[in-house]
Amino acid sequence: MSAVTPDKAAAAPMEQAAPAHRESLWGKAVYKLSRDRMGMIGLGIVLVYLIVAIGVWLGFWATEWGDVEGPKWAPMSAQYPFGTNIIGQDIFQRALYSTKTAFEVGLVVAVLSTIIGALLGALAGFFSGTWIDEIILWIKGVLDSIPFYLFVAAVAFALSGNPYAMHIAMVSTFWTTTGRLVRGEVIKLKNFEFVEAAKAIGVPQLVIIFRHILPNTFHILLVQATIVFVAAIKSEVILSFLGLGVQDGVSWGLMIAESTQEVLAGFFNNFVWASVFLFGLVMAFNMFSDALQDALDPKKVAN
Amino acid sequence: METFQYAIRKLIGGIPLVLGVTFISFLLMVYFGPDKTYELLGKNPTEEQIAEIRHELGYDKPFLVRYGDYLKQMVTLDFGSSDSTGEPVSKILARTVPISLALITPGFILGNVLGIILALIAAYHRSGFIDKFIMGFAVVGMSISFLIVVIAFQIIFSSSYGLNAFPVRGWNASSFIEYLRYITVPTLSTVFVALGYNTRFYRAVLVEEMTRDHVRTAKAFGTRPGKLLYKNILKNSLIPIITRIMFSIPLVIVSGSLIIESYFGIPGIGKVTFDAITTGDQPVLKAVVGLTAVLFVLTLLLTDILYRVVDPRVSLK
Amino acid sequence: MRKLAWSLVVIVAVAVAGCAQEQKSNGYDPSLKVYRHAMDQAPSSIDPVQASNVYANHVVLNAYDTLYAFKYLARPYEVKPNLAVDFPEISEDLLTYRIKIKEGVHFIDDPAFPGGVGREVVAEDFVYSIKRHFDPKMRGQGAWLWQGRIVDLDEWKARGADYDDPVEGLRAADRYTIEIRLNKPYPQLTFTLTMGYAALVPREAVEKYGLEMSSRPVGSGPFKVVSYDTSKIVFRKNEKFRQEPVDIWYEGYNPETQGFSGVEAIQGRSPPFLDILEIDFIAESAARWNSFTKDNEVQYTGVPNEQVDNILLSKHPVTLKPEYAEKYFMYAGVEAGFVFQAFNLDFPEFGYNEDPERARRNKLLRCAVIKGFDWAKRNESFYSDIGVVFPGIIPPAVPEYDPDLPRWSVERDVDEARQLLAEGGWNADNLPELVYGTTSSVTSRQFFEQFRGWMKKIGYPSEKVKIKQFATFGDISKAWKNSTLPFVAKGWGLDFPDAENTLQLFYGPNGSPGSNDANYRNPEYDRLYEETSVMLPSPERTALYQTMNKMVIDDCVAITGLSRTRIMLWHKDVIAIPDREIVGGFFLKYVDVDRTGKADAGGSGT
Repeated sequence: MSAVTPDKAAAAPMEQAAPAHRESLWGKAVYKLSRDRMGMIGLGIVLVYLIVAIGVWLGFWATEWGDVEGPKWAPMSAQYPFGTNIIGQDIFQRALYSTKTAFEVGLVVAVLSTIIGALLGALAGFFSGTWIDEIILWIKGVLDSIPFYLFVAAVAFALSGNPYAMHIAMVSTFWTTTGRLVRGEVIKLKNFEFVEAAKAIGVPQLVIIFRHILPNTFHILLVQATIVFVAAIKSEVILSFLGLGVQDGVSWGLMIAESTQEVLAGFFNNFVWASVFLFGLVMAFNMFSDALQDALDPKKVAN
Repeated sequence: METFQYAIRKLIGGIPLVLGVTFISFLLMVYFGPDKTYELLGKNPTEEQIAEIRHELGYDKPFLVRYGDYLKQMVTLDFGSSDSTGEPVSKILARTVPISLALITPGFILGNVLGIILALIAAYHRSGFIDKFIMGFAVVGMSISFLIVVIAFQIIFSSSYGLNAFPVRGWNASSFIEYLRYITVPTLSTVFVALGYNTRFYRAVLVEEMTRDHVRTAKAFGTRPGKLLYKNILKNSLIPIITRIMFSIPLVIVSGSLIIESYFGIPGIGKVTFDAITTGDQPVLKAVVGLTAVLFVLTLLLTDILYRVVDPRVSLK
Repeated sequence: MRKLAWSLVVIVAVAVAGCAQEQKSNGYDPSLKVYRHAMDQAPSSIDPVQASNVYANHVVLNAYDTLYAFKYLARPYEVKPNLAVDFPEISEDLLTYRIKIKEGVHFIDDPAFPGGVGREVVAEDFVYSIKRHFDPKMRGQGAWLWQGRIVDLDEWKARGADYDDPVEGLRAADRYTIEIRLNKPYPQLTFTLTMGYAALVPREAVEKYGLEMSSRPVGSGPFKVVSYDTSKIVFRKNEKFRQEPVDIWYEGYNPETQGFSGVEAIQGRSPPFLDILEIDFIAESAARWNSFTKDNEVQYTGVPNEQVDNILLSKHPVTLKPEYAEKYFMYAGVEAGFVFQAFNLDFPEFGYNEDPERARRNKLLRCAVIKGFDWAKRNESFYSDIGVVFPGIIPPAVPEYDPDLPRWSVERDVDEARQLLAEGGWNADNLPELVYGTTSSVTSRQFFEQFRGWMKKIGYPSEKVKIKQFATFGDISKAWKNSTLPFVAKGWGLDFPDAENTLQLFYGPNGSPGSNDANYRNPEYDRLYEETSVMLPSPERTALYQTMNKMVIDDCVAITGLSRTRIMLWHKDVIAIPDREIVGGFFLKYVDVDRTGKADAGGSGT
């Protein structure tokens, strides 16, 4: 290495090799993804849900999800396509409105926990073996050893009544997996030539992490984000059932929680429709996420 | 002897983790947790009575003193008596943990065994129709919320709208038959939900192992499929399998049974813990969280030792 | 895998079906008389000092003795002497009570006593038991009943709560005579002595078991506890319980309304009649209902809401469908308590305001909200349309209830509500944010959503009606006690059948942290409350109660109220009139089981 002039020789492979590597990976991935029928169906369904959610957000539909003027437990009809619940609310509108809630929860948690996981994972990986790594691993270990629902419940109580207690709790536990994967990848990457070279020419460590290493973990982050998205939506259901979830508004989880009393009296609309909506989105997202993993798996791309 | 020394070293290494878990849990669940005072008050209380109860519960002590007391309790394993019922915490644990174990174990074993079997079938027919079918089924299983499964199974198996063949809720282990009656629906639910995840995971592990060079070589040399499967594939996949199973254990015991126990009204540790959170019963919480952390460290240790048993090449350093 | 799961199901189902045949006896020796009662919640503590609810009292009143008790069958409720020989001897000035207790009553045998043999119950035990409420170490919850009422008792606490330190106003005049001296007349005192809080506890046991008293009763009641956990409690007959033949006519028997139950069969016999009393705590209504309809499990249940429509033939009056009437006895009664919502008047945006104009507008705002609240719909949605909606704070269960009050405050009128808002100059922009505090249970959330929906109709924008969720009852209780919530939704269970018990909810000096969560402060109301609090029951007192009730209604303090109707069912082999109101559980010692009829009931059931 001492034989090469640091300036050009080191910079050259770095600027060329890395983008080239990335381009080929992404190009192949997109091609592969578009050929994956199940994945594309999944993506299509997710987009439909997204449109529903945006429509709710813009106030196009489901604006009367809170009205209570309907009859108690009305059956399905033209006026109430999915019937009404115990206090006469329109289950159809509530199911639609919950789509927005689901995307809110899923996006907030997925984005934040991916960012935190990426940052801490990259730091730990880059400084592996040092005290920084030790501390991050310790935090991760601690968070992983507290049972999830207990932790969320505890956070919810500690933040007493904060509407984002659930989100905070999920983010603080969901980042650890992303962090672990990123750390592993970064440990691999930092021994690559282009990183060694950047180090040798004295590029600041933070710049190396953010400009050169993190972008190369993007495929992991993307896949992890979709997985966390699904996990967040599913956890919301259980947390809402336990009374720790969404506070204002309505969600499929709350609808299912409401339905536990109704099914005993023989009224299944709330339960069935919330379940169908939830299952549809989660299934579609899982299909998409699988396809994404297949497409981005470097080994498979290499084959 | 070497193993023993290693175990001791590992145990000492686990102390920071236990400290971290207890500290965070203490901070969240005890210090910022629900305030028991107002549940113990009479109907028309005065300021003075409120202060008295706070004193009785030890809420008026400084944070560090209370945390110190907690650590002392951890070391002596004496967590005192429940703030709600006055029953000693040790008695509560002795009563509820066996119930949770009895409840969770069959589903846990079945879920993993069936998962491995299905994964083997799928991996054996890799990319074939059977593989696709099983994996499709796994994705469906993964997409259904646990809660939905629990509610639906209860309607299907236990309610008068369905088969009405099992108790709706509750717990009775007075005889083996009764035990089976009460455990069936919860077990089916756990297995159903765990199966999707387990199958996918084990299939991935097995497929990776199958594509290794030595397996290919063995295959090429005409090793019998059964022997191949057992000696070359299953045995080498044991480490990830053990890891998964071992790490599920501490969490399964507490949070895994939480939904099941609260929905089926089973008086196990999950329900007790959840009730303790919602009523701020701190002695119970402290015991559960502290013991979970210790259990976690022990699991880490045991896993490492198991690795060595499975594969002597893994060194204990 | 499906095949596997299914074959598993089939195997288990077959095994279970095969054994279900033999499962007829309920786990007890068939020669014993067993009654299995069911409740929807387990008590958290069964120490008399913590007997704060009906669940705990079901246990406490059967394991311990109280000086007075409610008559088994009299409705409205009447008090009778229990461990006391007679009603208290009350001095002219109503300040001194002398109560003689029965001689020869013994505590159950327990290792806490020397030699393990239960000693005789004496007057000093009562003194000790009441003192316990004033000892912070005991974590008692009943002190509010006697606080400031009994001479020197509060001072005793201030002196350090030493049990060997005598209290001037609470002492044993001799071995069997209790003497209580009051600071001022307290006509409800006798009522308080029927409660589990006032049960007699032996000092030896408290000293031996400490906090464990909360799960280990040592008393002199009709039953003794054999086992107790969060799923059930099992009692055995206390063989040493005093022999006192029942006179059902004295107990208030009404052949017309109660004849169906067969309670005449206990005439002249001494309770308890059961060998085993078991109370199952089954929180999940479906499980309770299943257990009840199974013939060989619990023999009593309150009817869960979701079953009401299934089993009733008519709601007004409440009658059972023939297939249920054939198998079960039913009793429908209005609860001794009510649910209501109140504004916290400490909040200047809804309540008292220094600016008289704003105070006037606030009142109009409160009245509008009351007018927009739909009690009829609430009753239909959550109380099967059989609850009793009434104006004001004197519920149907007390003798002072007036069924003819004007119903303006409980009838929804959206137009009038909007008019009231307009009159106060309120519109969507200037209406204050209304924070509705609630626990996180599904039903309380739905209460909120329903409320918000109604408010939307009267022009209160939905985004201004906010929910604030509290994860635990303790936390919301803390918010009430610290007066941090502008709007309080809660229920109140009566401690005794006297409207004083609900009127105190709006007495100024009971403001937070007391039970006046509305922080209603009306000098005239407070004056009348103080005046009536020392009066014995009389038409004059009732008239004053009514005046106070009217003040609360006219000031638009609370959206009130509804008393739930509870439907109780029990198997036909049980001879009883069950009841869970006021204190709860005092009927259990009179329950008998007809074992000759058991075969018939079983036969017709299958």
